[in-house]
Amino acid sequence: MVESTLKQDAKAPNTNRIGLTLGDYKGSPSTLCDGCGHDAITSQIIKACYELAVEPHKVAKLSGIGCSSKTPAYFLSRAHGFNAVHGRMPSIATGVSMANKDLTLLAVSGDGDTASIGLGQFCHLVRRNVPMIYVIENNGVYGLTKGQFSATADIGSKLKTGVSNELPPIDICSLAVEMGCGFVGRSFAGDPKQLVALLKAAMSHKGTAILDVVSPCVTFNNHEGSTKSYKYAKEHEMPIHEIGYIPFYEQIAVDYEPGSAVEVKMHDGSHIVLRKAAKDYDPRNKLAAIDTIHKAIAEHQFLTGLLYIDEKKPDFTTIMQLDDQPLASLGQDKLRPGKDALSAIMAELK
Amino acid sequence: MHEVTIGIGGAAGDGLDKSGDTLAKTAGRLGLHVYAYNSYQSIIRGGHIWLRVRLGENKVQSHGDNLTCLVALNQDTIERHAKEVDAGGAIVFNADRLKVDAKLHGVKKDVQILGLPMSQVTADVVKEFGPIQPVMQNTVAMGAIIYLTQLDFAEAAGVLTDTFQHKGQKVIDLNVGLLKAGYEYAKSQTKEVTGSWTFSRQRRPFITGNEAIAIGAAAAGCKFYSAYPMTPASTILHWMAAHAEQVGICVKQCEDELSVINMAIGAGISGNRSMCGTAGGGFALMTEALGMAGIMEVPVVCVEVQRGGPSTGLPTKSEQGDLFQVYGASQGEFPRMIVAPYDVVDCYWSTVEAFNVADKWQMPVIIMSDLLLSEHPETIDADSIKSDVKIDRGVLVDKWNPEDGKYKRFEFTESGISPRAIPGTPNTCYVSGSDDHDEEGILISDMFTSQPMRRKIMEKRMKKFEGLLAELPAPKLEGPADADVTLVGWGSTYGVINEACQLLQEQGVKANHLHVKYILPFHAKEISAILSKSKKKISVEVNYTSQFARYLRSETGIGMDAHINRYDGELFEPKQLAEEIKLALAGKKVSLDVSEDDAREMACHYLRTHGGEKFRPGKITRQDKSSAKEPVWSIEIVDRLSEEKVAEMVIGVQTGHTFSYKSLVPAVS
Repeated sequence: MVESTLKQDAKAPNTNRIGLTLGDYKGSPSTLCDGCGHDAITSQIIKACYELAVEPHKVAKLSGIGCSSKTPAYFLSRAHGFNAVHGRMPSIATGVSMANKDLTLLAVSGDGDTASIGLGQFCHLVRRNVPMIYVIENNGVYGLTKGQFSATADIGSKLKTGVSNELPPIDICSLAVEMGCGFVGRSFAGDPKQLVALLKAAMSHKGTAILDVVSPCVTFNNHEGSTKSYKYAKEHEMPIHEIGYIPFYEQIAVDYEPGSAVEVKMHDGSHIVLRKAAKDYDPRNKLAAIDTIHKAIAEHQFLTGLLYIDEKKPDFTTIMQLDDQPLASLGQDKLRPGKDALSAIMAELK
Repeated sequence: MHEVTIGIGGAAGDGLDKSGDTLAKTAGRLGLHVYAYNSYQSIIRGGHIWLRVRLGENKVQSHGDNLTCLVALNQDTIERHAKEVDAGGAIVFNADRLKVDAKLHGVKKDVQILGLPMSQVTADVVKEFGPIQPVMQNTVAMGAIIYLTQLDFAEAAGVLTDTFQHKGQKVIDLNVGLLKAGYEYAKSQTKEVTGSWTFSRQRRPFITGNEAIAIGAAAAGCKFYSAYPMTPASTILHWMAAHAEQVGICVKQCEDELSVINMAIGAGISGNRSMCGTAGGGFALMTEALGMAGIMEVPVVCVEVQRGGPSTGLPTKSEQGDLFQVYGASQGEFPRMIVAPYDVVDCYWSTVEAFNVADKWQMPVIIMSDLLLSEHPETIDADSIKSDVKIDRGVLVDKWNPEDGKYKRFEFTESGISPRAIPGTPNTCYVSGSDDHDEEGILISDMFTSQPMRRKIMEKRMKKFEGLLAELPAPKLEGPADADVTLVGWGSTYGVINEACQLLQEQGVKANHLHVKYILPFHAKEISAILSKSKKKISVEVNYTSQFARYLRSETGIGMDAHINRYDGELFEPKQLAEEIKLALAGKKVSLDVSEDDAREMACHYLRTHGGEKFRPGKITRQDKSSAKEPVWSIEIVDRLSEEKVAEMVIGVQTGHTFSYKSLVPAVS
């Protein structure tokens, strides 16, 4: 079916390696507010999947509850979806991963879903290193319930009503690094070039890849006094490097000065090239990553880029010693332990 | 019936469970029937552990209420249980450390007191193997019990040989030597407490309900098990972890029960046969996700093992107090199956059935057990558990041709069952949403709420109840149809109610027994037909509010004539239950007053919890006239060593209130 769509007709739309068009990666029309940051992220997810020629039916889209968690309906309509209850997407994802390790898990959550009600689940997911891409569409408020502060809202940030947030934010990226995550990135819905590169790189990572993406809520948190507005983010964004991604099926064309970039070979043979910007930053240094994130918080900087990467950490399917064949595809002959195994067990009890 | 019951009491850490295992396995190998119950506390070391092992030539269905032999590993056990040993029985203890005073401890007539002078009895073994650890003295006591109860020494030695195989021949010889020493000493000092047995020597497996559930899950092809440690469900997790490789199950201990059930649902939705397990407290955390499994129509099996509640409650005690919790768990309405196995073998088959129902009817299935059923071991017939069980995965879609139209995950069908495609199957993609949805899985209340769509999806899900009910066997009345009374129960009380029926029969009261296994869906019609013919109906439940009887009334309109309840942490025993039934039939109620024995136990509790272990309760007198607004028990507290009266305690007969504890001696600094 996939091959048959590949036509040589001049009028045919552009297709990717497996003959699918960009439209094949789209979903239903968004029901979010016009200008919502989440829709911008959706577009980049569609673009990344199209450009990497991901097979849609091998993707499991996961989400919890909230505006962000609605977005899997707006991309990859040919992929399976799991829209869990509030804050419990990480454990659903873990179960899916154990049952079918051949699926690519692509999760979208929000700051409420991840940093408030689902914080425990988030920490344990990262700790287990379940192989998946986990995007947090971070706007600092609960949009669907009319704009209350979430746990990632910055101290001093103001609601439209003038109410000021008095509690410090949970920084998802530094928490993820602390919990042992091997791929931690931060980006901005208004920076499509960086975001698509980070999404692609995340898809090559074997383990949990956390992408905290500031995604302004145009209805409840885009005003003067908000630290998650388009204006604030644009004015304060500070990319720590320029990210280039070279998929495993393409040649690396070296066009940077030695010492001016960090190159990381990903698990699937792809490469990412990080050209240094203002800072001399090596995202393979864990302590430096935490230090940099904390300094940025103290100085009210909005630091974006690939903050930390460790390609050596074993993922959860490896730790659990799962069989090569996904458990979900075992036939009845393999499903049961067999008569001999059960007889041996009963003999132990006599 | 030829039977004996051995009670073994001591503190946690005394190793008495191992002794009980040796005894039970010996009897099981000889072809006897065994039922054991360990009454333990939520403590690692210390406390009171009380293990009863009942052996019989015929099937024994409860731990009974007799005591033939007592093995006391500490003084506390002697004080508590020496008086319970029946005439003709025996009390075995280490005479080097412990003391039995027949009068003080209320030992019945014709009970043999066998104090083992441990250092003398083990002298030869010590000479050959060196000093022995205190816990090994249990093996000496077991030797004495093997003789007293007329079990086969060689068979017991064989059990020890297998137990210590991994530790080498020297350890085996040491243990068999100690067993022999105890056996020979008892033989020289006492006479046996029972006649000789007929041993079939057909080995019977000795197994708990939790093991049966775990083995049943493995046989049914369970490939994912998740849990958070919680008594009394933990032993399923232990079994799974120990056998994960052998039977090929992915086992995950999670951070909380939210993750436990969500992971199981994730694995279930992705095509695995998956199960999770917990106790009532953990299940409370699972309620949210249970409804999600309901709306997403996910096959998942959840084991809910009840213990004393509410809240942390009685962590190591049995109760049937969670029925309404499980019945009502999660908001909204959705089909779920609740099955309550009634014995160990039924735990196995109910689990196999649970997986088939979950897959075929695409719904969560909850297996409701309790601490008694899950943790007590008993012998079963070797062929009552068969490994080649039927597996029904339901209607699965493994290929889909897009030319046939769009695959609809929640297709409206006559049965309510929609053919299920496992994620990863090309052309079958859909979203499993926790929001309600149409046939394709598209939300029906995102932009607009579609009322007819909601009505049809509700009807589709709910009608699965009817189809499932028609497949399940209805409960049957056991015992004479013309009985004077019908006893109604569910779950683990099956055995004890049966035994009570037999006792009543012997006493001239005709009783029959209706035991209900399927709580949801419920055979209301069939149960109404049975109960409408009963002369009297009495419910028997290990809870305060007779939850099952209330539920039965709500479904059938039939109420009970009387309710028998126990909620003190311990279990029904056949004789006591038969007595309560006779009382109820006479229209009388069980007194809730504090009895003299209760008052003694409450005084012991006070002394233990207020640092007064050197003292014990002495003479107890009832005073109907006192300054309190109720009659009281006046309890003398005496020093264990000097026998001197050291305090006076007053406890209310009705409320159980401790009115006073007056010390008669100066406080010891």
